[in-house]
Amino acid sequence: MKRTIYLLSSIAALAALISFSGCGKDPLKDMTPEESRIYITNHDSQANFKSYNTFSIVDSVAVLSNRNDTAKKALTDYDKQLISSVSQAMQSRGYTLVDKAAKPDLAVALTRIDNSFTNVAWNPGWWGGVWSPGYWGYPGGWYWPSYYVVYQVNEKQTAIDVFDLKNPNADNKYVSVWNALWRGSGVWNTDNVASMVQASFDQSPYLTNK
Amino acid sequence: MKKIFNWMMIFAGVFAAQAVSAQVRPPLSIDVNYSVASPLGSLQDYSGKTSFRGWTAGLQYMLNDQFSVGLRTGFQDFNEKLPRAVYPDKLGDVSAVQTRTLQVIPIQATAGWAFTKPDKPVIPYAAVGVGVANMDYKKYWGEFVESDNSWQFMVSPELGINIPFGQASPVLFNANVRYNYSPYKMGDITNFNSLQYSVGFKFHLN
Repeated sequence: MKRTIYLLSSIAALAALISFSGCGKDPLKDMTPEESRIYITNHDSQANFKSYNTFSIVDSVAVLSNRNDTAKKALTDYDKQLISSVSQAMQSRGYTLVDKAAKPDLAVALTRIDNSFTNVAWNPGWWGGVWSPGYWGYPGGWYWPSYYVVYQVNEKQTAIDVFDLKNPNADNKYVSVWNALWRGSGVWNTDNVASMVQASFDQSPYLTNK
Repeated sequence: MKKIFNWMMIFAGVFAAQAVSAQVRPPLSIDVNYSVASPLGSLQDYSGKTSFRGWTAGLQYMLNDQFSVGLRTGFQDFNEKLPRAVYPDKLGDVSAVQTRTLQVIPIQATAGWAFTKPDKPVIPYAAVGVGVANMDYKKYWGEFVESDNSWQFMVSPELGINIPFGQASPVLFNANVRYNYSPYKMGDITNFNSLQYSVGFKFHLN
């Protein structure tokens, strides 16, 4: 009986050892930064993307940090690359870049989000407040369709928001018609901007006026 | 109540049978096997690659020359990394490299029946394991993980052979094929099904 107990306990010990000593492969260990990134895009299913002709893009990138309530605007090499890549992508989809004073149909806002230090509840599009309609010379606020989902973030991210300036809704708010959010390693790396913009537009074939 | 009585009679019978049978090797044995498992059904849709990361270990007690009962555990790691693709999700369209993993740790009671007497050079047998399994599900979207850990019912019928190293040797080579079923439901997995091939050794202890 004693022997059986020894045996049972040695088998249990062996099992515990192998199970918990990381016998399973850790997928994060052999993952490149490119593989670690995810690109999330969302759009307003009511929007008619063919009805827009012109767009204007912000002249700098808003930088939000959970350590600081007030957003800063920045124009680093990364930000310049982001503005130029997104402008090119919009133009390749048939939209004409115009000055913000020329009453564009679409407003393109760019935001970098740094939540690396604590968790905050993510309010979809909360960063849009930095680029308020006032920037484009309109009163009122932005409006996000209800299926823009809330979840938690704890990392560096980059967001692109496209708003419809042509058709404010009943509350005089401007609807977010397209949104891209990049998450993962290296989303704030200048060298990755072109490919991340490319990926975001590639997965949004409806975003065109052609 | 009658059922329990019948079971008691069966057990009393096999114990009596054991007492009268001439023993070739001591009744208690331990076994350790390396195992490879193929996912089947919806598990294959989730993580389709054959798993080469697995083992089993068990303890068996021969109630007589042919009937045995035991206890066993093990580990199997299913893992598949898919190239970048766009997945429509509740969040929108998500472009990601998905790594889909499932790690299974069963704990089962077993009952086995040998088709021949223990003095034969090859001893084919059938067994069934019934118990629970810990399912550790992790679906990585890039570096972001969606995970679930739960205990599930699991049943595993098995066919195998034991080949003793000499007629009365306490050491036997073992090879077996086991089918594992668990009504586990998570994401793409509607039921857990796998076919597991194992080779290893069985040691009878004095």
